[in-house]
Amino acid sequence: MWKTESTGITHVETAVRQCLPPCQIKCPINEDIQRTNVLISLLPEDPDLAKNGVIQISEYLYNKNPFFNICGYICGICELECNYSKKGGAIKRRMLKRFLSDIFTEHLKEREELELVKTKENVAVVGGGPGGLMCAYDLSKRGYRVTIIESFDRLGGALWLVPDYRLPKDVLQTTVDNLVRIAGIDIRYKSRLGEGKLTLERLKNEGYKAVFLATGLPYPRVLTFEGQFVDGQDLSGVMYGHTYLYEVSHNNIAKNYFKGKKVVVTGGGNVAFDVARSVRRQGGEVTVVCLEREDKDHRDGIPADEEEVRGAWEEGLRIVYSRGVRKIVGQNGQFKGIECPTCVSVFDEQGFNPKFDCTDCIDLEGDVLIITVGQAQDRPLLQKENLLNERGRLDMDHLTLQSTSKPWLFIGGDVRRVGFMVEAMAEGLVAAESIDRYLRGVDMREGRRRDYEGYEIPIRRDYKPEPELLWIPPENRMHFQLFEKGFTLKEAIEEAKRCVTCGPCLSCKACISIGFQKSLSPVEVDEARCSGCGHCVYTCNYYAARLVNRGDKVVSETDMFKCKSCGMCVVACPSQSRKMVDDDTADRIASVYATL
Amino acid sequence: MSQYKPKLVCFSCKFGWGYLTDEASLSKQIDNWAPIICTGKIDTTHMIDAFERGADGILILACPEGDCHYQDGNIEAKKRVFLLRKMLESVGIETERIRIELAVDPDGIRIQQLVKDMTEDLAKLGPAKKSIPVRKTTKKEAVKAGGRK
Repeated sequence: MWKTESTGITHVETAVRQCLPPCQIKCPINEDIQRTNVLISLLPEDPDLAKNGVIQISEYLYNKNPFFNICGYICGICELECNYSKKGGAIKRRMLKRFLSDIFTEHLKEREELELVKTKENVAVVGGGPGGLMCAYDLSKRGYRVTIIESFDRLGGALWLVPDYRLPKDVLQTTVDNLVRIAGIDIRYKSRLGEGKLTLERLKNEGYKAVFLATGLPYPRVLTFEGQFVDGQDLSGVMYGHTYLYEVSHNNIAKNYFKGKKVVVTGGGNVAFDVARSVRRQGGEVTVVCLEREDKDHRDGIPADEEEVRGAWEEGLRIVYSRGVRKIVGQNGQFKGIECPTCVSVFDEQGFNPKFDCTDCIDLEGDVLIITVGQAQDRPLLQKENLLNERGRLDMDHLTLQSTSKPWLFIGGDVRRVGFMVEAMAEGLVAAESIDRYLRGVDMREGRRRDYEGYEIPIRRDYKPEPELLWIPPENRMHFQLFEKGFTLKEAIEEAKRCVTCGPCLSCKACISIGFQKSLSPVEVDEARCSGCGHCVYTCNYYAARLVNRGDKVVSETDMFKCKSCGMCVVACPSQSRKMVDDDTADRIASVYATL
Repeated sequence: MSQYKPKLVCFSCKFGWGYLTDEASLSKQIDNWAPIICTGKIDTTHMIDAFERGADGILILACPEGDCHYQDGNIEAKKRVFLLRKMLESVGIETERIRIELAVDPDGIRIQQLVKDMTEDLAKLGPAKKSIPVRKTTKKEAVKAGGRK
């Protein structure tokens, strides 16, 4: 069994020109997807032997992303940009990570603490969600003493609102518990900023030299129609999705609570679908009403993931597209139904600005209305702390996340802009870098904006179709256990092999890390010999070889960022003008021939 | 003839063959074995060279179709073997002296067996036809060879 090393030469490099595979560009934290896909493809088929490899790969991922095992359940935005999606289906990276997670999460409990020397300043992180935790993890590794100020009695923030059938609670609990243990992060539970005497200023006076504010969006957004608050949101039977999911996560809602009830859910985002599918699992008959259209490619297309919509449809939910809520109808203080005019457009040039046609209006009756149209910041807190500008927005530098009025304060995660879990995590990393720069007194902005260049899919004879994800049939999944079956070892190896590794070798180096080769061998062209015939251009599967004019001669050259050192152009070259520098293949062959 | 032991050269791609075993200990058990990265790198001149230097056969172990790390290196190797066989045939050398296998064997346990099997088959054929004129390397070619290394 091979053993990965991540020292010296085997480290992935930040290239001069920032080239990465498209999946890694899409990933907000630029996870080393290609490298770990290659390593998964080289795992032994024996599960006992493979475990060792899985842990090595997971450790590598964990070092950069201590949430990777959670990403394996609920993220997968890298798949949206996968080159393979045009050729038979994106590589199921999320499922590959879940496969690692299934083994690694158990192992995490025994993982040893990091040996950190924490001699640097004290830093406070307000909010223990993915953004705050990521920032705390990164700062701890850099030697800062970090304390998380958490308002509840558990860490993980909005991740707790993800229903169990998508993310099991024990995976989340194990991950956050071990994260703070491994990185040695202090926590102050049940400490809510703005409550009692706890203010930002006070934290500063307590000796925290910098503060990262990642309080997320703790409140539900209320339902409005044409800019006006819709009355009736205080009726009995009306609740907010956010609140509902919170109660579900605490097991405060009985198993068949909605049995025999008609439940209307408003909203078209993933959270609305989490709500709707949870209600369905608790016996309700669910109708989802959303402003957006069914066609996801349309500007006004539904924002929820395709898989969510498909899952909901399978589970028998009714989805009413392109309808808003004009009025909430009640009787004797009890919710009765809603009036839904057609929504003709959701977005215009200014952004979200829905337009309705009230001549086409339907009535939907129900026993319960769950409003899931988004979440909101804790505005009073932000106002009290004087963090908003005259337009009511956060007054801050959006590149460095530094507050304008308080230079020692950094703000990020959902509180700044609502996004996916991994986007909050990325902001945690940005904040950690900013805090480090701020406390060291170096330039806050230099070299931070990075633009990456993607790669096309390599040319090959056959592209393989994607594997089908295995979901428990809807009639058997009306519970809160996982409904998606994870990959077996064999399936994981197969899927990892399907990855065509379109990114550059410099940002991968999987082969070097396990000792397949000593170094990457660049291809050199002897221009004096090259006749410019173009065989190499035809042969290269990576668009790396190309013809260029040199004075009155046409010669070939190699784009070092695209070249994979496969050596096929060298073999194809009829004038022997191409060679690989530092490649030991010829030597190996020669040494075998010498013994003949 | 019983004393005759054919010389077989075996190339294998590391991405498909024996990547889970210790290469050094495996190479002690297999004569003339060259694990390399991608069989697409093996030039026809490498194969002809082997015969010129006294090999009786060549075995190439490539990755399964569709599994090449460099997309189609294994297919390239297969094509090259096909064409070279035609050429060898035309000068009277048995085509069986070059064999290519597209499969995966992480532990490398089949390598030894495949080498043994082919060696036995070669033994039945006898030594490679010595009528191939062993060329003297011309000066021009020597320069080329130096340039390639």
